[in-house]
Amino acid sequence: MAPYILRRLLGAVPLLLGVATIIFFVLNLAPGDPTAYFYSPGASPEVIEQLRRNFGLDEPLGVRYVRWLGAFLTGNFGYSFGHGRPVWDVIAEALPNTLMLTGLALIAVFVIGVIVGTFQAVRQNSVADASLSVVSLFFYSMPSFWLGLMLMLLFALKAHEWGWPIALPPTGMTSVDYEFLSTPEKIWDRIRHLILPVSTLTLVLAAGIARYTRGQMLEVIRQDYIRTARAKGLPERTVIARHALRNSLIPVITLLGLYLPFLFSGAVFVETIFSWPGMGRIIVTAIAQRDYPLVMATSFIFSAMVVLGSLIADVLYAVVDPRIRYD
Amino acid sequence: MADRVPTGPAVARLARAMLAAAVILTGCRADRAAEEIETGEPQPGGTVVVGMRTDFSGFNPVTNTAVYTDEVMKYGLFTPLVQYDGDLNVVPYLAEGWELEGDTAVIFYLRQDVRWHDGQPVTAEDVKFTFDLAKDPATGSLIGSAFLTEVESATVIDDHTIRFDFVRPHAQALESFWWPPVPAHLLRGIPPAELRNAEYNRRPVGSGPYRFVEWRANDRLVIERNPDFPEGLGGPPYLDRIVFRIIPEPATLMTELVTGGIQVNIPLTPEQTAQIERSPEFDLFAFPGRTFYYIGWNTRRAPFTDARVRRAMTLAIDRQEIIDALLFGYGTEATGTIPPWHPLYPEDVVPLPYNPTQAGLLLDEAGFLDRDGDGIREDAQGRPFRFELLVSDAPLNRSVAEVVQNHLRRVGVDARIRVLEFQTLLIQHRARDFDAVLTSWVLDNFQVASSPIALFHSRWADVPQSTNRSGFANAEMDRLMEAGAAATDPREARRIWREFTVLLQEEQPFTFMFWLDELAASSRRVRNVVMDPRGELLSMPGWWLAGARRGG
Repeated sequence: MAPYILRRLLGAVPLLLGVATIIFFVLNLAPGDPTAYFYSPGASPEVIEQLRRNFGLDEPLGVRYVRWLGAFLTGNFGYSFGHGRPVWDVIAEALPNTLMLTGLALIAVFVIGVIVGTFQAVRQNSVADASLSVVSLFFYSMPSFWLGLMLMLLFALKAHEWGWPIALPPTGMTSVDYEFLSTPEKIWDRIRHLILPVSTLTLVLAAGIARYTRGQMLEVIRQDYIRTARAKGLPERTVIARHALRNSLIPVITLLGLYLPFLFSGAVFVETIFSWPGMGRIIVTAIAQRDYPLVMATSFIFSAMVVLGSLIADVLYAVVDPRIRYD
Repeated sequence: MADRVPTGPAVARLARAMLAAAVILTGCRADRAAEEIETGEPQPGGTVVVGMRTDFSGFNPVTNTAVYTDEVMKYGLFTPLVQYDGDLNVVPYLAEGWELEGDTAVIFYLRQDVRWHDGQPVTAEDVKFTFDLAKDPATGSLIGSAFLTEVESATVIDDHTIRFDFVRPHAQALESFWWPPVPAHLLRGIPPAELRNAEYNRRPVGSGPYRFVEWRANDRLVIERNPDFPEGLGGPPYLDRIVFRIIPEPATLMTELVTGGIQVNIPLTPEQTAQIERSPEFDLFAFPGRTFYYIGWNTRRAPFTDARVRRAMTLAIDRQEIIDALLFGYGTEATGTIPPWHPLYPEDVVPLPYNPTQAGLLLDEAGFLDRDGDGIREDAQGRPFRFELLVSDAPLNRSVAEVVQNHLRRVGVDARIRVLEFQTLLIQHRARDFDAVLTSWVLDNFQVASSPIALFHSRWADVPQSTNRSGFANAEMDRLMEAGAAATDPREARRIWREFTVLLQEEQPFTFMFWLDELAASSRRVRNVVMDPRGELLSMPGWWLAGARRGG
């Protein structure tokens, strides 16, 4: 297994470099000029030219590419035009916040999706199955920004108005008096702020997993080995949990890798709505400002995560299915 | 001055409208218990949370170009040499007095009791250091290009006295000094070209009534009371802290206000004002701003080379209808680059009226007639009067463009709207590769000469990428702008700017649409909030919180 992982990681290097190169040229060839955001129109053309020099934009594209690549390979992402500080610092501040959001959502998506899907398959064609299908299709077809606003409307605004015992904070990651709270209060404060954004990301994607798990389970339950398991007198719970579920999870797990891009793009909307200080917000502003170094670094990191996600999916595939071996 | 940049990503307007509607239904009933707070003596202590839509940029007055960052620095973290009073007169601040040497120089006497937040005194050396940085092209400073173009040099006379010599006599000379110094002892040694990336900008040491505590990107800025702020400048603030939270979506910003998460909401959207007005807990602030919307005509491209045609366009557009329908009345028709609240605004020059008949006559006169009866006018060669109107993807700009298109259609002009992302629009606008552009302009000081000279002076008309993007040139207007910039006698200045505005109406290089009102809301628990064209945060040092306790 280890050599396989190593091989895949090495294979990812040219892939990511290629992606980064394409992004570099697409970005730099798109119309727009970072200095537009930082100079005053009354400034003389010399001042503008000076700013372009400060940003390193006075050189030909090819030279800039080589320079960028050289720095990039040594792990130097340069200075963000917009933030006026090293790109790494900007990312180091925002990335953990996004990972917390998407990581929790990913776990919740799979736990909820698999449980609901299994339940539905076991109770196929019951009222519960039908209603859950309706509910999951409802969430599945809902854009995340819409769902986010509706959850906020209900659990922050209306909950506040109607005096519910728990009204959730509509935005942010912590309360403004966070540093004055005791440790348990701090933990509770964090959790309260996580509930709405994580739920928004989770509900949309969990619905998809639930549909998929249900389909897989129904397929597996009809297999001969399930009939055999039942015939040898195993309790239904064991049949489902050990024989049916494990087998139907194999294709579901591959979805894990494919879901990462959805999670990240969903995070862009969710972070904006809930003012979550993460990567999505940074990317959006960076693109509008033509903050080249920052856009390069963030899109590189997102593509690296997508590549990593599919690698993890492949590895997990082998873990759950002994028939699969990577040599 | 700067182009107004659209803020925040556009998330579905429908969802936003739904939430906005829900907020409206809820707002009035929330927090009723918090009502009936007595007004009285200011109470010390407490934290006020301000919600804003865009993040700050680095806190360095020399390199900053962002509006709210500028306000936080001018009214909170730093001490500008001079400030403005409510009637826009220049009043002493860090400089406790000054002496004008005719109209060629000024000597400022600085207060001796103002200290940097690290304890060092603020001296004339700091002021000169800041001046030199701002004048250095390598810093690309807005202070340098917007305030100091007419100031030649700075000379330190002693620790608290400094002299500035002017390039030439110019009107409103004191207003060139509405900027705060930065500490020389902390910034010396940083190459000017690197100043924008200085670590200092993320952890500024200021001199103002509030001290910097913490800034987390896209999340919050925290500032706290400076207990050592001199009594002569109003003394330490009442509040313990002010927290600025960054919340990009207008609807969620409003939700935070209604649920008590924030107390001051900057800015509101026009459709949110009705709810604030009805609510007993909040005050609505609507004040004339420094942003005007305009349609810039490319005066180098037919048919907009003809002033009659440009005037016809303006006469054909019902600007008051746009203000009423799209801005909910929160705007004022514009006559030119001088805002209606400015002391030099020519009251008796009225905006060109909405008069489609007159517009039609002008177009007839210019040779545009509907020759084939299709409802669109054609020139003598039979070419239809058709042009492209560029507009950014900001919702307000698009809606305004649609109304304009409609109105022009009525006089037989076919405007084709082309929506572009802001950066792309700017590229075409700057390259003068357009027929017409609907966009906006922000004044960043109250010196009336700087914007018209940047926008209309013929010295910029042929300079590539300059701000005279309409390529406009008119010798008489050049003369008036130069005379206005040099007129040190206010009566003379008023006469010149009146004449200038009249001529501008005639020429219409722009169709001046409207001045946008700035909108904000605050909880009534926050007292002593004043907002006017000087900014939303100007009374920040005097804010206090009803029911607050020190350390609470």
